[in-house]
Amino acid sequence: MKRLRPLAVAAGLVLLAGVPWYGSDVLVQFGINALLLAVLAQGWNIIGGFTGYPSFGNSVFYGLGSYGVAIVMVQWHGSFALGLAFGVALAVVFAFVLGAPILRLRGHYFAIATLGLAQVMAAIIANVPLAGQNIGLVLPPLNDDRMFYELALTLLIAATATVYWLTRSRFGFGLIAIRENEEGAAVMGVDTTRYKVLAFTLSGTFSALAGGIHAYWITFLDPESAFDISLNVKMIIMAVFGGAGTVFGPIVGALSLSGISELLSSEVTRVAGLFFGIVIVAAVVLMPRGLADLARRGRRAGWRYFIENIRANRL
Amino acid sequence: MDLLAQVLANGVLLGGLYAVMALGLALAWGVLNIVNLAHGSFIMLGGYAAWYLFTWLHIDPFLGLPLTAAMMFALGYALQRGVLNLIVRAPMFNTLLLTFGLDVVLSYLAQIVFSADFRTINPPYAGSQLNLGAVVLPVARLGAFTAAIVLTVGMWLFLLHTRIGRAIRATAQNLNAARLYGVEPRHLYALTFAIGCALAGASGALYGTVSQINPYIGATLTAKSFAIAIIGGLDNPLGVLVGGLFLGLIESLTALYIGPTWSDVASFGILVLVLIVRPTGLLGRTA
Repeated sequence: MKRLRPLAVAAGLVLLAGVPWYGSDVLVQFGINALLLAVLAQGWNIIGGFTGYPSFGNSVFYGLGSYGVAIVMVQWHGSFALGLAFGVALAVVFAFVLGAPILRLRGHYFAIATLGLAQVMAAIIANVPLAGQNIGLVLPPLNDDRMFYELALTLLIAATATVYWLTRSRFGFGLIAIRENEEGAAVMGVDTTRYKVLAFTLSGTFSALAGGIHAYWITFLDPESAFDISLNVKMIIMAVFGGAGTVFGPIVGALSLSGISELLSSEVTRVAGLFFGIVIVAAVVLMPRGLADLARRGRRAGWRYFIENIRANRL
Repeated sequence: MDLLAQVLANGVLLGGLYAVMALGLALAWGVLNIVNLAHGSFIMLGGYAAWYLFTWLHIDPFLGLPLTAAMMFALGYALQRGVLNLIVRAPMFNTLLLTFGLDVVLSYLAQIVFSADFRTINPPYAGSQLNLGAVVLPVARLGAFTAAIVLTVGMWLFLLHTRIGRAIRATAQNLNAARLYGVEPRHLYALTFAIGCALAGASGALYGTVSQINPYIGATLTAKSFAIAIIGGLDNPLGVLVGGLFLGLIESLTALYIGPTWSDVASFGILVLVLIVRPTGLLGRTA
């Protein structure tokens, strides 16, 4: 069983990579969206799942990445690759400058400060002429869904490899130690501030790259959609639904939730959003540790697993 | 000079309304340790309740305030008892997620039931105004401000002098000790959350008379309520009042001197800045 695992992963990858060759256009477009969401969930996993800092500010990185690509391509007539690099540079600067003061906060305060940052950034961008102010920017169209799909898949693989590296590196153990007990980690010699800022930066880099790819694919962006906070909550929910702090949980969460919501929205559009809200509420109440935990412990406990979760957290 | 006086007056009138918006959020946060991301949606629902009362039953939004508040009180009690009480002891992150889920459900339901059209409550006195020298005060705004002040001070007196108010404050300080003195936590939690919801509903009704309501106003109002609660602290409604006035003035002054599109930058910038510089709030304790 253990030896079959790399084989299964390889087979899954080949199957995923081949989608643009055997799948329909609709499937490929759905795939691009789902893969980018999985990248966001995986990126959030680094700061939220491993380090234990529930960032609501990852959509800021996503927005900066989108605007990096848009500004370079529309205003400066540069290449897509240059735009991605510029977006990542913006995200890294942002993470370094604001990471240190923001990451001193804990719990609610960290969450709310990052939430506030997302609002501030959207409001600032809406006032910057270079970024097209409130009207937004229109990028040159490129009809190559195959390229976007493979790019998104590559990015997801890179993000997952990074998370896998966290589970077996000194840096990753440092982050987990911070999550479990920050004072304890500091006493054991973990430079907590540096570790947290690096985790925030790493997490932001993946979000920025996903934002850049999405901007070029969609060819339009404005402050409202680029810094959309509900996107940030989507990545959190996907990571938590799958299992935050695990390697494959966020991917499973992202792909399964996007799949369900896509199926629903093709039937009744308005119900899809409602469904999303209900899933969030039900998941937090019934399985707060995600699908990964359900698969591990739910098999033995059966339906009592849900009752136990409620019993553990209710007043 | 006249312009400045007018802008300051606008800021104060707006600030009073902001204060009562944030009051319920601060209450649930300070007492139950629940940071309610659905708070703005409760304000939105209160606005719609008042709109329907006014449009269908011709009940004046100010006279209908108790009715709106009562409806939201019932909703809040049911939500806390049926859903939120189930996760009160979970990590704080779970309560954030859960209330966000509620927010999504409420705003989509509102979109389906009420449609996405902008609505305004237009009582006959909506256009009339009071001239005080150089300053012009719209009657509806003045009414909303007065009602907001009455609600805030009333809330302060309620917490200070009634039996339930004392039980709520005791629970905020120490749940176990309050339990020993006969506080039934499940009921008290639901009651506290319901009072917060009722205040949010009332503020929504007031908001509907001075501004527009649609299913999407919730997120911004939640964020503003955060800013006010962070500035004003969580333990005293009067602190929240100061926070609300402060934010109202800052927004109006920014709009005058820098530009109306920058007022959101100012209010959320202050939120982040206060958290970074003084995470315990500018006035008093913050949870």
